[in-house]
Amino acid sequence: MDTTLTYNVPMQETFGVWIAVYFYLTGLSAGSFILSTLRYVFGFEQFKPLAKPGVVLAALLLVLAPLALLIHSGQPMRAWHLFIFINPTSPLSWGSFLLTIYPIISIIYGYFMFKENKKWARIMGIIGIPSAIAVHGYTGFVLSVAKARALWATPIMPLLFLVSAIISGIAMMMIVNVIQGYFFTNDRKINTDLLFTLGRMLIWIIVFDLFLVFCDIVAHYTGHKEGIEVVKHMFTGTFGFLFLFAEVFVGKIIPMIVFAVPRWRKVSLYLIMAIIIMIGIFIMRYNVVVGGEHIPIV
Amino acid sequence: MKKRYAIGIDLRKCIGCHTCEMVCKLENKVPISVWRIWVKEGIKGKYPLVRKVFLPVLCNHCENPTCVTVCPVKASIKREDGIVIVDPHRCIGCRYCMAACPYGMRHVNPLLGIVQKCDFCLHRLENNEEPACVASCPTKAIVFGDLNDKNSNIYKFVTENNVTVLKESTGNHPQAYYAGLDFSLADKKGMPE
Repeated sequence: MDTTLTYNVPMQETFGVWIAVYFYLTGLSAGSFILSTLRYVFGFEQFKPLAKPGVVLAALLLVLAPLALLIHSGQPMRAWHLFIFINPTSPLSWGSFLLTIYPIISIIYGYFMFKENKKWARIMGIIGIPSAIAVHGYTGFVLSVAKARALWATPIMPLLFLVSAIISGIAMMMIVNVIQGYFFTNDRKINTDLLFTLGRMLIWIIVFDLFLVFCDIVAHYTGHKEGIEVVKHMFTGTFGFLFLFAEVFVGKIIPMIVFAVPRWRKVSLYLIMAIIIMIGIFIMRYNVVVGGEHIPIV
Repeated sequence: MKKRYAIGIDLRKCIGCHTCEMVCKLENKVPISVWRIWVKEGIKGKYPLVRKVFLPVLCNHCENPTCVTVCPVKASIKREDGIVIVDPHRCIGCRYCMAACPYGMRHVNPLLGIVQKCDFCLHRLENNEEPACVASCPTKAIVFGDLNDKNSNIYKFVTENNVTVLKESTGNHPQAYYAGLDFSLADKKGMPE
């Protein structure tokens, strides 16, 4: 029977844009940390120029990220409650410790790196990689545990977040590489080999990310009623534009094609694409956080 | 014996007068533009076979509440008697419970910056009074009581009627029981067009 709704009350905003900003910053931090370990842990010498800016940005962004949480919180002066009253079933409770441990590890790792102590830099890097994965993976769990929203409550969410974190981290490192070459070398020569290598890496990571998004959408669309509502919501209206056009088409497919064509290997084009990817990943965070809670549940 | 508070709403008696909504706001000083109980309304069918349907919704005080699972500071508590409350002195206002509640029954107090919710009018229960919505309902459509007490109104309501709950698939075991629930209205979400 057809029923028309005639009265209901509006819902308050829960996780707003500040949580999206927070997820974005931790993602950038984790991504740049993992890139900086490519030389000191995995031994790829061609990534040496990225190691130092990578670790500095990783620590810096993770000091900034909790500020977004404090702005979001209704009672920021009670933030110390998080360290006193611990709830082991809550991902936010795990996060309060991860957010303290991870910057400390990355600062120690950076210290050994700047001292050129390769052995200890490697050890701290090995400790740092799982903590970088944890500090961003837990943000995926924050959404995945909130079972109210069908878009969030998928087991794929932490993985989706990690992959997009690495994408945004690589894109940021491309920009860092251009800035480093243009402003911080005597001959103003940009390390194009490194830039194009990062581009080639991005192609396959974006392919993997698109595959994960595709899996998520297909599983929702063939799933229960709420999942179908999610897909309709993400394909039509404001979030249809933001998701299909801004996030997937402009933010992922166009850069992927540009990086895949050998003739288009130009520094300016790669720089523009890196900026587009960074904006695209922010739109992805916004779509997931704000789009997820935009779907009415009552 | 341990108490197990629950609420029951007989939708066959509900006339959609919104009294529970207003009384709750007055009793608990609920801020503007948020509600702890409200009556969803809908029109079912087409003329001449048409009727209005009502659905008062409030916190379900789940047996297995998601809000309690996710609260990072244990400010959301499931009491011994089954009532889910927020500790106003401990809540940090992170709104994770609001994001995780499948029923969307929590709100932020803009002045205090903390999350608040229905607590079955705890201050009234302590004086052996029924919650405000129950006491004020003109048709006595809302019943309240202790499910472990065989003589209580709610026990009679749950056993004598064909009752159901909202969003059973969440596995939260909600404790707000409805008789005569029309899922065609319960499934309509969001604001009316």
